[in-house]
Amino acid sequence: MKYWRWLLIAGRLGLAILFLWAGIAKVREPWLQFAISIDEFKVVPDTWLEPIARILPWCEIALGIALIPGILSRWFATIATGMLAWFLFIGIRAKVVGLTVDCGCFGSGHGTIDAMWFVEHIAMLLLGGAVTAGEFLMRRAPRSVPEPELTR
Amino acid sequence: MRYLLFLLPAALLMAQTPSATRKAPDHKALAAAAAVPQKNFKESGSPTAPITLELYTDYQCPACRNFYMNVLPSLNTDFVATGKVRLIHRDFPLQMHQFSRVAVKYANAAGQIGKYDVVANQLFVTQPQWEENGNIDAVVSKVLSPADLEKVKAIVKTDTHLDDSVTKDVAQGNQDGLRETPTTVIVARGKREVIGGIVTYPVLKAYLNQKLGQ
Repeated sequence: MKYWRWLLIAGRLGLAILFLWAGIAKVREPWLQFAISIDEFKVVPDTWLEPIARILPWCEIALGIALIPGILSRWFATIATGMLAWFLFIGIRAKVVGLTVDCGCFGSGHGTIDAMWFVEHIAMLLLGGAVTAGEFLMRRAPRSVPEPELTR
Repeated sequence: MRYLLFLLPAALLMAQTPSATRKAPDHKALAAAAAVPQKNFKESGSPTAPITLELYTDYQCPACRNFYMNVLPSLNTDFVATGKVRLIHRDFPLQMHQFSRVAVKYANAAGQIGKYDVVANQLFVTQPQWEENGNIDAVVSKVLSPADLEKVKAIVKTDTHLDDSVTKDVAQGNQDGLRETPTTVIVARGKREVIGGIVTYPVLKAYLNQKLGQ
């Protein structure tokens, strides 16, 4: 049990680092660059590009920070996994439609959507899924077994 | 040794100062030079504009054509013509495009006779035609008079310095870390921001307005 708990913490911190990295890399660049990346996916109207490009990186940073202390972590892990699933979905859609997209996931120049991108994103989604499932399971499991009362 | 440091700039200044003993100017050459537009034909807008936008393009790149045809006209009207943005065109012909370098030569040769905008526009508009066979003469001839076309062709053939500006642009582009065309470099308050890819005009407008408001 102890082993699993440490593994879960490590997974959660890994997820936090991923989100912090993604958010900070975007915030360091002009928001216009991320707006271009979002536009390349062709999933949102033009009017949404600026608000998403300006807000999403900060949301990623906030989520990364929120995952660290372990408070409400199962809900934050669920949000993170949902976001990762969405990113993977729009990546698959872009590939199917035939769009050449610089994903901008970890700032510009991270690369276009190719086989490696899918490997990375599936791995991240599995990590998110595992952390979410682990957080829910840990919540249900008792933290320690109560000692039986001794009667004389 | 330290006196040499002071003497060197002075010597350089003296070397640049016109001297009475120098050869008399060649009036023919001066007249020819006067015929050439003095303003850098790749620049437009006010030199004192708060924002300089450097646009790296490749004439054979479809995304550049898209930018040129769909974003640039509005940018010119709203920002360049109003003195808010100074626009500099930079050439970044990509190796993968067979006829890019030839197209650049034509545009820059046209610039030397004051027809840069007309020819650059024609090259982007007719890109799907000439990229098939490299017949740039045919498309350029539609927007230039026969005399101007001959001048342009002569410059393309004989001017050994025609590619100098392209070499400079490519070097600057590499310094800026260009990975794709079009790339926009927005220079404001001494800071260079390199933005790769094609941006829609409303988003670019919002970004430039934000920069102007800062």
